[in-house]
Amino acid sequence: MTAVDTVRSQLAAIAVGKRRRWLAPYALSGPAVVFVSLFLMLPLLMMLRLSFYRYDAAQMYIEAFTLDNYVRFIKDDFYRQVLWTTLWISAVTTLLCLIGGVAVAYFMARTKSPLLKRYLIIAIVLPLFMGNVARTAGWIIILDDKGLLNFLLQNVYEGSALRLLYTSGAVIAGLTSVLLPFMIVTLNSVMHNIDVSLEEASLNLGASHLTTFRRVVLPLLKPGIFAGCILCFILSMNAYATPILLGGPKFNMMAPMIYQQISAAMNWPFGSALAFVLISLTALLTVVSAVMFDRTAKRTGIA
Amino acid sequence: MTTVARKLGSLRWLYLGLVWAVILFVLVPLATTIWVAFFSNKILSFPPEGYTASWFEQAWTLEAFRNGFLLSFEVAVGASILAVCLGVPAALAIARYQFQGRELINTVLMSPLMIPAIVAGTAIYLFYVEVQLESDVQFAATTYGLTLAHTLIAIPWVLRLLVASLAGIDSSIEEASLSLGASRLTTFFRITVPLIRPGITAGVLFGFIASFGDLEKSLLLVGPGRITLPIVMINYLEYRTDPTIMAVATIQVLVIAIALIVSDRYVRLGRTF
Repeated sequence: MTAVDTVRSQLAAIAVGKRRRWLAPYALSGPAVVFVSLFLMLPLLMMLRLSFYRYDAAQMYIEAFTLDNYVRFIKDDFYRQVLWTTLWISAVTTLLCLIGGVAVAYFMARTKSPLLKRYLIIAIVLPLFMGNVARTAGWIIILDDKGLLNFLLQNVYEGSALRLLYTSGAVIAGLTSVLLPFMIVTLNSVMHNIDVSLEEASLNLGASHLTTFRRVVLPLLKPGIFAGCILCFILSMNAYATPILLGGPKFNMMAPMIYQQISAAMNWPFGSALAFVLISLTALLTVVSAVMFDRTAKRTGIA
Repeated sequence: MTTVARKLGSLRWLYLGLVWAVILFVLVPLATTIWVAFFSNKILSFPPEGYTASWFEQAWTLEAFRNGFLLSFEVAVGASILAVCLGVPAALAIARYQFQGRELINTVLMSPLMIPAIVAGTAIYLFYVEVQLESDVQFAATTYGLTLAHTLIAIPWVLRLLVASLAGIDSSIEEASLSLGASRLTTFFRITVPLIRPGITAGVLFGFIASFGDLEKSLLLVGPGRITLPIVMINYLEYRTDPTIMAVATIQVLVIAIALIVSDRYVRLGRTF
């Protein structure tokens, strides 16, 4: 074998190695991608197709291409009302989460005791994983006619019993309590990167605490506020356990409505259409607010 | 600074009051659940007549709760192991390679976290029914059908924790192993896996937690006699609120808390979030 041949075969080996290396990441991630595509992407596409089918009481559905299901959703006052309830409950919940979340995140970032900070983070992170049913169960006890709040109200303040459970206020309280940790955790990650010296500079230059907060902290916190609000809004738009347990049977939001259409009414085309309205609205709101955020970020020079 | 702080006066108390009110708002419902689980009152009422632990026994003797707990446990273990098998190689690809479509693949694998659970659960159910109509293989209302759907829940957590864990490891150690003549497979099992073992453990635990607490994705996938714990709980709570169900909730909270405390030893929770 001549030297040229050796070099040539070595080059060929490197080329093969390179080609293999080029394939490696696809081979490694392949199984997971196939799995998610098969069990999530494909089902979603099939559901989209199903939402254009026609409902039939005897055959479940008839293959067709009709917008009837979507038209029914838009035209029917009842379903419009459900969507409206979902939207305003989510908006109020997000606003409350924002106010409470900013206060706690700021406190956590500026407290001087590392021990308090550590325990606070654990206290906020732990409930994130506890499951909405167990946490909402606590709210039922608190808000029930014979519950904790009514007991305190009657025995300590000698007031009369109040109807608290099965109201929109109960749903908002429950959702806010469940979603606050998401907001706090999101804000906390941004708060970490805000230098205290910026605030000190502002204070030293004579600005009040409130002005410093408004003019220095809040603008720097904007990316976190944006991300946290999107997260809270999406999660409350899609909430299931809280509206069912705290809103009662007459309170309707989108997620329970989808379940009810698929499992009880057995109207799969319409249920699929409802699901797609919900997922599209969620995606649309995310994109629109991302674009709006980008614009304000460019204008004000943050980001 | 102190003069500035004093200048704030009553506003400062307002702010501190808000902070602690918010923290209580998050924690009190959970604490109430655990508190009531020990009441000796048969139905929900205040004040407690006394305290007892008998509701925990009662909860375990009720078949629906016991089976629900065991099924949730089984599904969560299966799903988190399956998610790690799929997630470790995928995390390796995303953390160690620059390739075309990397962002897209990452987005696809994280998508189970982004797509509303109720919508995803509905889609998977309709898909299972369709598969059964075409092939006669039942997926809906089976344990494996549920486990496959829960694997989807666990994958993003495994991926997230492992990518973070891989980013913290110097890849020159792997390169050293390769240049000393070890094969890629040997390097992976002898070098990479031991180094990312904390990440893998945390991935399994978080996959377990996410699956164990899931309600929305499973709603349509459960069947008669095969219902996961959160769904048993919500069905019960729709009609009754008593100390028994609070004992069940407490047990669920306890299982998750143990998993969290164990995973805190592998990844600092405070730093991950």
